[in-house]
Amino acid sequence: MSVSARLGILFLAPALIFVTLFFFAPVVLTGVFSFTNMSTATGITGGAYQVTSNVLRQLADEGFEKSTLDRLGAKSYVVSAQALVVATTEGVVDKAVLVELESKHLGKTYQSRRDFERFLKKLKNRPRSTRDLKKISPYFRASLMGQRFESEEVLFAMLASLDLGLPDPQMRHVARASYTGWVWGTGNFKRMFSLGDNLRVLRNTGIYVVATLLLFNTGFALVLAIATFYLPGRHSAFFRGLWLLPRITPPVLYVLLWKWLAWDTGFINTILANFDIQSRNWMLDTGANAWLFVVLINGFVGASMGMIIFASAIKAIPQTMLHASEVDGANRWQQIRHIILPQIKWPIMFITVYQTLSLLTSFEYIWLSTDGGPGTSTEVWALAAFHAALDNYWGNLQYGYGAALALVLVVIGVVMSLIYLRLFNFDALITRPRIEQ
Amino acid sequence: MEIVVKGFTKHFGDTAVIENMNLTVKDGEMLALLGPSGCGKSTTLFAICGIHKMDAGQVLFGDRDVTHVPAQQRNVGMVFQSYALYPHMTVFQNIAFPLTVRRESKVDIKRKVMEIADLVYIGELLERRPAQLSGGQQQRVSLARALIRRPGVLMLDEPLANLDARLRLEMRSELRRIQQETGIAAILVTHDQVEAMSICDRIAIMDQGKILQIATPAEMYQRPVNSFVAGFLGDPPISFLDGVVRQGILVLQGDADDTIPLPEHISGQPDGKVLRLGVRPEHYQPHFPTKVKGAVVFVEMQGREILFDVKLSNGDLLRSVQAASSQFKLGDTVEWGVDPAQILVFDDHGTRL
Ligand SMILES: Nc1ncnc2c1ncn2[C@@H]1O[C@H](COP(=O)(O)OP(=O)(O)O)[C@@H](O)[C@H]1O
Ligand SMILES: [Mg+2]
Repeated sequence: MSVSARLGILFLAPALIFVTLFFFAPVVLTGVFSFTNMSTATGITGGAYQVTSNVLRQLADEGFEKSTLDRLGAKSYVVSAQALVVATTEGVVDKAVLVELESKHLGKTYQSRRDFERFLKKLKNRPRSTRDLKKISPYFRASLMGQRFESEEVLFAMLASLDLGLPDPQMRHVARASYTGWVWGTGNFKRMFSLGDNLRVLRNTGIYVVATLLLFNTGFALVLAIATFYLPGRHSAFFRGLWLLPRITPPVLYVLLWKWLAWDTGFINTILANFDIQSRNWMLDTGANAWLFVVLINGFVGASMGMIIFASAIKAIPQTMLHASEVDGANRWQQIRHIILPQIKWPIMFITVYQTLSLLTSFEYIWLSTDGGPGTSTEVWALAAFHAALDNYWGNLQYGYGAALALVLVVIGVVMSLIYLRLFNFDALITRPRIEQ
Repeated sequence: MEIVVKGFTKHFGDTAVIENMNLTVKDGEMLALLGPSGCGKSTTLFAICGIHKMDAGQVLFGDRDVTHVPAQQRNVGMVFQSYALYPHMTVFQNIAFPLTVRRESKVDIKRKVMEIADLVYIGELLERRPAQLSGGQQQRVSLARALIRRPGVLMLDEPLANLDARLRLEMRSELRRIQQETGIAAILVTHDQVEAMSICDRIAIMDQGKILQIATPAEMYQRPVNSFVAGFLGDPPISFLDGVVRQGILVLQGDADDTIPLPEHISGQPDGKVLRLGVRPEHYQPHFPTKVKGAVVFVEMQGREILFDVKLSNGDLLRSVQAASSQFKLGDTVEWGVDPAQILVFDDHGTRL
């Protein structure tokens, strides 16, 4: 490798590191997380094994036999060698009773504490006081319920001691069901496609993107750019500056202004009070109103970028071409339709694609204004991912499921970017210099 | 249709670009608007076709006062210096554009485009885009677009300036042919006097926003109103000699020995009057009577002719164009003559006497 090539890589290194850290790493991690069931409950490190009533219910759903489950859930008492060892070393004072149990009653099982203690009382070397008796019985409790096993082996040993006669696969099944940490799996995606709510969120996303884009980010931006083009210089600068304000206002403040506009005691209601109209929260009153505000809030911010790009593209059209069209008899509308719009075709395509991508992934204004409400009527995909992973109402943050939702957006983004690179075919946009013959 | 411009005045900011201009283009004629760059030719054209508003004055198309009529309704055809073709349309669509915006029927449009394409010889280029055309072809398309709806007047803003020398010659005669075939009055803006003289019926010569003279090419060449016009027309250009009148004879500046008798038609000039003589290269020849002595300091062989620069003893230059057979060489001392009848005489303001 030549010196200059090495030097080039050296100079590129900071950029490469940044791209890796802040672009590739999040995408890769999103992909990784989406194949786990990580949540607040599982934690992001390892877990333990715990058979709970939930687990039993799940196993019942998964076809375990009722008798097996009953025994798994039962609080039985077993005179096992293991329990005897523990009881001995942990200092049951009355060793005689232990010796008797070991020599004569090894293996006996009782279904309840009462039965077991009744049996103890009938022993030859039975404990003298009821208190001592009650101290002995817990050592022989053989129930899985509520116990925490740090590893699979311990759980298996316990299951073996219950003498359930479970075959190996079923043992492992129980282990899987009772594991409290996160595991790999495609469950997130199954859940995503089976949940009816997601269809609604998808439809919301479509409404949000298409409406904001057509009405504002491209449509209104185009109207502004063309209108200001025909205005005298000073006025056009003023109007363009005006439409930049929403973009440069801090989002929280900007949305707060809108909220204030729509509040029960806000601007709209104050005005309408004069006409005896019942005050209400106009933003969250109905789904349609919420949509109106969501599109307006996003559109006022989004229109400025298109406006600037379109306005400068229009300015770049050679003046003589516009003059020529006037002399040719084109009125203003025909000039716009036949000259200006075709001439700024590429900027329009660019803004449309670019803004589609950014609208798909941006939810901050919706989050700040309606937070997806009322109900889930303005919940869009990116917001749903955010809610699932980071801002869950029930407190159980589902990192894995959220990542799976986000991964959908990543995939759409990558596919659209590829299409858009093909579409714009940058080589073809550069006109080669021509030498006049 | 006759075009009349009356009292036209145009300011850009504080600078007056055109002041009180009057101009008439007769029906069917081709008028050249000739002048150096920046003198206001394009501004005049833009005002006539309505792209720019006039600050004062009137434009009449025939009997119709179009001063306040927008460009769209003036029915003028214009060929821009840069051609201003619409790059996103095919040649056909470009030419058809003036008809399309007037919503003419598809059949009519097609017929007219074919007709005009035949007139300017671009019939086989109709499906191409402007970027796929050479400069001369773009020029023809632009011309076709300007002509397609039979404009009342055709405006050509430096139409040949962007072409190479050979193509310029060819398009020059093409322009004239097409203008004469259509019979449409035309204004040709140019800074090239050869172009103006060779294809126009009349020339309006401009300088700094004013029209100095309007005349036929021959008239303007032979009887320019002032030294600016005399200097602007002719290639190689006219030579000027400054001097003072002494007893009916012009004593050239700087050297009392060099004198030239004043031509007969300029008699009775008082002693001490400052004058400027203009001598065209074809009127300073070995055989002419009024001899002026000098040294050949520059020789340029132009094929059919040779161009000589002769330096007089006071340092002034006279040019001479002679047949290529001429035997004079660089450094020769010569005593060639001026044709007294052809000498142009200007006063100290530059006005021809
Ligand atoms: N839009 C304009 N704004 C200011 N000055 C202009 C404008 N158009 C032309 N001018 C000035 O007016 C003068 C005449 O310009 P123009 O008519 O284009 O000259 P030309 O004879 O070369 O066609 C020039 O000095 C030019 O700088
Ligand atoms: Mg010009």
